Amino acid sequence: MDIQLKRGLLDVCVLAAIKNEDSYGYKIIKDMKPYIQLSESTLYTILKRLESANMLSVRTAEHGGRLRKYYHITPQGLKRIEDFKVEWQEIMSIYKFVTKEDDENE
Amino acid sequence: MSKQEFLSALRKKLSGLPGGDIEERLNFYNEMIDDRVEEGLTEEQAVEELGSIDEIVSQVMSEIPLAKLVKEKVKPNRSLRAWEIVLLVLGSPLWLSLLAAALLVVIAIYTVIWSVVVMVWAAGLSVAACSIGGFVSAVVLAVQGNVAAGFTMFGVGIAGVGATILMAYCCAGVVKCVFSLSGKIFIGIKSFFIKKEAAR
Repeated sequence: MDIQLKRGLLDVCVLAAIKNEDSYGYKIIKDMKPYIQLSESTLYTILKRLESANMLSVRTAEHGGRLRKYYHITPQGLKRIEDFKVEWQEIMSIYKFVTKEDDENE
Repeated sequence: MSKQEFLSALRKKLSGLPGGDIEERLNFYNEMIDDRVEEGLTEEQAVEELGSIDEIVSQVMSEIPLAKLVKEKVKPNRSLRAWEIVLLVLGSPLWLSLLAAALLVVIAIYTVIWSVVVMVWAAGLSVAACSIGGFVSAVVLAVQGNVAAGFTMFGVGIAGVGATILMAYCCAGVVKCVFSLSGKIFIGIKSFFIKKEAAR
């Protein structure tokens, strides 16, 4: 997949993974696994990027005698997901246009 | 590989990154391993699931902007200590003059090379002038009635023309040589600095 496209998709996927409740690194990877494979170092980069874009906030909480980082979605993060849905409609219409000739030839 | 082995190996490989960045990444991987262990994996299995350290490092390096890496590289590994600054200032008469000397040597080499060009051209021009002088004096001597001397000077003039043509070829060749030579020297100086940087 095109690297820019994949990057944008992964950002939205990670936001979706923390949309309903705060989550932590390993859980995000596990939740996304059925849909998209994600390595730890990639996830780290995405989380950093989303944090600096104010789309999520981080808090550290104790869990089983150790510290764990939890990620919480911000209003900007929620807006990014909504924007993505609109963008995807546009992409789908572009897809229709791109594959139109294929259909006509069949 | 145990968790500690993995983390310390990763720390070593990431040492080119800013310090805070390394700690944060290591904490992240630490948490990832702990979460897997909590699910029932052994430490070794958890480490294995994260992939090889080289893979992680190459991915980290490819994701970090080049500007950040260069900044980290150019930044001295530690700030200069007070006595080092004092030494640097006190030693400036020494190292400044050495630096100036090195610079002057480079300029001198360039001057010598280019003076060869000037010399060849000067020789060529003087031969040309000589042939012109030969023709002029041949005419003057012939007018004065000294025909034998006039013919001699005419011969000198013709010889001068021949020598001038040869010298023109010579000049062109030398200029070409010097151009490529000075280019090579320039590249040599540059690669000297680049190699020094790479060896660090």
